[in-house]
Amino acid sequence: MNKTALCAQIAALGFFGVIGSGTTLAADPAKINWSKIPATHVPLFYPGQSSYEWLRSDAHKNAAKEVKRGDSCVSCHDEEDAEKDMGEKLVKAGPLEPMPIAGKEGYKDLKVQAAYDDKNAYLRLQWKTQNDYPGTEHQYLRFDGKEWKVWGFPKLDKIVQDRKMIGLYEDRMSIMIDDGSVPGFAKQGCWLSCHDGQRDMQKQFTKDEVAANPLLTAIKKSDVRKYLPETRTDPLDWKTGKTVDEINKIKAAGGFVDLIQWRAHRSHAIGMADDGYVLEFRLSDAGKDVYSGNADSKTHAPKFMWDEKKVGYKSITVDQLHKGDHFLIREKNAVPFDPNAGWKEGDLIPDYITSREDAKGSAADNNAIASWKDGTWTLVMIRPLGLTNSDDKALKPGGVYNIGFGAHDDNITTRGHHVSFVKTLALGAPKGTKVDINAVKLP
Amino acid sequence: MKPTTPLLLAGLISLALAGSALAAVDDQAAKALGKRNDCFKCHAVDKTKKGPSYQKIAAKFKGKADAEEKIMKNLTTGPKVKLEDGTEEDHKIIDTKDPKELKNLIDWILSR
Repeated sequence: MNKTALCAQIAALGFFGVIGSGTTLAADPAKINWSKIPATHVPLFYPGQSSYEWLRSDAHKNAAKEVKRGDSCVSCHDEEDAEKDMGEKLVKAGPLEPMPIAGKEGYKDLKVQAAYDDKNAYLRLQWKTQNDYPGTEHQYLRFDGKEWKVWGFPKLDKIVQDRKMIGLYEDRMSIMIDDGSVPGFAKQGCWLSCHDGQRDMQKQFTKDEVAANPLLTAIKKSDVRKYLPETRTDPLDWKTGKTVDEINKIKAAGGFVDLIQWRAHRSHAIGMADDGYVLEFRLSDAGKDVYSGNADSKTHAPKFMWDEKKVGYKSITVDQLHKGDHFLIREKNAVPFDPNAGWKEGDLIPDYITSREDAKGSAADNNAIASWKDGTWTLVMIRPLGLTNSDDKALKPGGVYNIGFGAHDDNITTRGHHVSFVKTLALGAPKGTKVDINAVKLP
Repeated sequence: MKPTTPLLLAGLISLALAGSALAAVDDQAAKALGKRNDCFKCHAVDKTKKGPSYQKIAAKFKGKADAEEKIMKNLTTGPKVKLEDGTEEDHKIIDTKDPKELKNLIDWILSR
């Protein structure tokens, strides 16, 4: 067993205790017989900068009218190998990819299986990684002899493209879930949330634009991330945010999508997936996230370091990257940072710290177990049924949902992912209802 | 040996010709050309998309002497065509300089 699998299973022990403590017993996801559960293959492709705005422009040849009308993506893109062909085209330099990543694959096959019991929904996802190692490393704080600076950046960042910094970013599997309340999501899925102006997209925001924007200043944000069109008076312009009151009404009516992200560094370490949603921004659910920054906001020095007594080191160096699990887990292997511990140039401490114990509230709803073997991630996301938080989509037996998938692979974030067209997921499809993924009720 | 009736003979000849015409269509080459030119974004073999299905087109031109000529015109001159939603659009001009490749695509469409 590799260290990643071991770590996930140790972390999972914590949540088995949690899910087994209620009156209704939940399945042990590690023991579900997945060979009995049907698999659906969902094609994922590289979308480049194919934003909501681009899809409605004349550049989207002979399709702008149809997209504006609300037609589904697959009303055109349903031919054999459509996703594969598109991904392999878009990943190369072109109008939708100004900064291609050398050697990046344009397509991924995602194997999806789903099950549920009285307590949880279980989504088993398998996909191959481009690298021959699991992407469990994330950015670090590096001591340069004088101070600690962020080290390791995603491959779309210019500093990495210019070969002045190593490309380093955790693997990620994200799903967006709509219960039918978000206009257009059933037809156009994740593309509702991807806009010009966002990070690494065309016409990327400037700091001055964000600082002058009433909505973003009201919600205390310093950049532009995913949002749904309903939150803007002009959905084609991120700057035209509605008021917070108007957005709260949309949220109260359920007009948001759930966003669950499994992160190979920041949530995998503790057997969880984070819990967020997309409305006027990509937001975390209420409570405390499964991870937090490890840099002191004033000094930028680490707040925690590894507990040498437990793991044998207090920091690592670059030659140790991808050789073992380098998770900093607050309750397991971290101690407060000691600035006088004899730091040397090149010492690395994770820029993020994770904690199952500290994760609280709606942000801490989702569990996950994962392992990486022979180039393939096998992940089981565990989502409790019937959540009543105002920032969650409640899953229930018999329910049918629209779902989109996104995989970040090979040290990258933002647009550098592989995504699916929207699919349907049912928890026991009602008779006569055809869905793409039908979760099987566990005995 | 019993003599073959003229009717049966005509039938056999017709079948043989049809068979040779079908056999002459290079399925893979037609699909590749169609894919390269985004034909399948608007047409499918057996269902209506933005444009009519290839089966519908084949049925429309079945037995008509000018079938090839009319489809050739659509594929090479980009005339206004009526879409299934009632609107009009310029038809895509197929990007190939090889007349055999184009003829193969037309034969493929007509044989759906």
